[in-house]
Amino acid sequence: MKFLCVPCDTPMKLQTVAPPDRGSLSIVYACPECGYEMAMLTNAYETQAVQSLGVRIGPESDSTATAASGSTCPFSAMIPGTEDADRGQGAEPIPVRWTAAAEARLAKIPEFVRPMARTGIERFARDKGILEVDEQILDEARDFFGM
Amino acid sequence: MKGYHDIVGDGGSGILEQVAELRGRITDGLAGVRHLVAVGSGKGGVGKSTLTMHLAGALRARGLRVAILDADFNGPSQARMAGVQRALFVPGPHKVSLPRTSDGIAVFSMGSIIPESEALDFESAAHGESHTWRATREFSLLGEILASFEWGEIDLLLFDLPPGAERTVQYADFLDPRTSFLLVTIPSDVSRGVVARSVAALSKGSNRILGYVENMSGYYCRDCNAIKPLFTSSDSSALDIPCLGTVPFDPELARHCDLGIPFAALRDTPVGRGLDQVAQRFLDAL
Repeated sequence: MKFLCVPCDTPMKLQTVAPPDRGSLSIVYACPECGYEMAMLTNAYETQAVQSLGVRIGPESDSTATAASGSTCPFSAMIPGTEDADRGQGAEPIPVRWTAAAEARLAKIPEFVRPMARTGIERFARDKGILEVDEQILDEARDFFGM
Repeated sequence: MKGYHDIVGDGGSGILEQVAELRGRITDGLAGVRHLVAVGSGKGGVGKSTLTMHLAGALRARGLRVAILDADFNGPSQARMAGVQRALFVPGPHKVSLPRTSDGIAVFSMGSIIPESEALDFESAAHGESHTWRATREFSLLGEILASFEWGEIDLLLFDLPPGAERTVQYADFLDPRTSFLLVTIPSDVSRGVVARSVAALSKGSNRILGYVENMSGYYCRDCNAIKPLFTSSDSSALDIPCLGTVPFDPELARHCDLGIPFAALRDTPVGRGLDQVAQRFLDAL
């Protein structure tokens, strides 16, 4: 979808994306020539149709865009069964730290498998008596699980 | 006044660019995959998933490097059949590593992520009316899986498709044009009729149809060591594509699927021999 300022015959530019309100987005466009502003207000179905493409709405650097799409991940999907598997099994597990490099690797994987991956790797580390996950532990886990 | 095509870009929403960027990541992710084959039917309950897993096993036994993507997100069965229901997904330097069966077939299935007691659900801005967006969401999920997981250098990636003739065509539209299709039917006129519709629909596109496999082609009676008829069919609706073989029904195969036992255990049975023949014709057709 593109917007044109008819008096100026100039394409309008996206300015801001407000946080969603009951499924509706308010997306403001402005004409770079005359400064005229207009807002596109979506209904929930229109919002969902765009979100279903797995895209972020708004400029990447715009922090409001993340709020608008509901997540930093293309899947703002909620997929059940990805909760921490250790939860509800009695005693709290011993906390495991992650190095920045290991966290960076984890951040690259799709959000819907991230909680499950984190839990499994922390369990693998704990079983080895290690309380910090680094890239070496990740590589060991890959080898251990035959990947 | 300018028209849509006179304006470069989309004014800053970047939606088209993001869709194109994902397509690029998918292409990169599949660059090392020699052949892409979607196993579909149009008809449900004909054994697509079983055939996918055991065809992969038969090909693996011939030394091929094979992976399976269970594209049936709402009814995933490959995780159980592959024995990877409790698989761990480990992030590699760039992508996520895939769990493997005991005979070395890499498998992605939502069944490794979602317990069988739960259904795949998506958070939605629109309450209800999921028919307006759900398919789009599932295809964006498929795209992210293709782009994010480590398929590596392999000979073959098999897609286990969900049922539905229209879904088969949607996958043909979404997947790489070099994706070929293998269709599965059973020896009933009803099934052949539905599969014939899938053939007709797929024929309108550019994807190649390798042929079909007739599954449940009789049943193997272990007591009398013979194949007996399972369906009576007039055979009046023969499919106008090559038949790559027949595979009889064997309750032992169903048990193996439930327990995640690999193909090797069945190799010296009529089912195993049928699958082996399908594997050879499949390779010839590729």
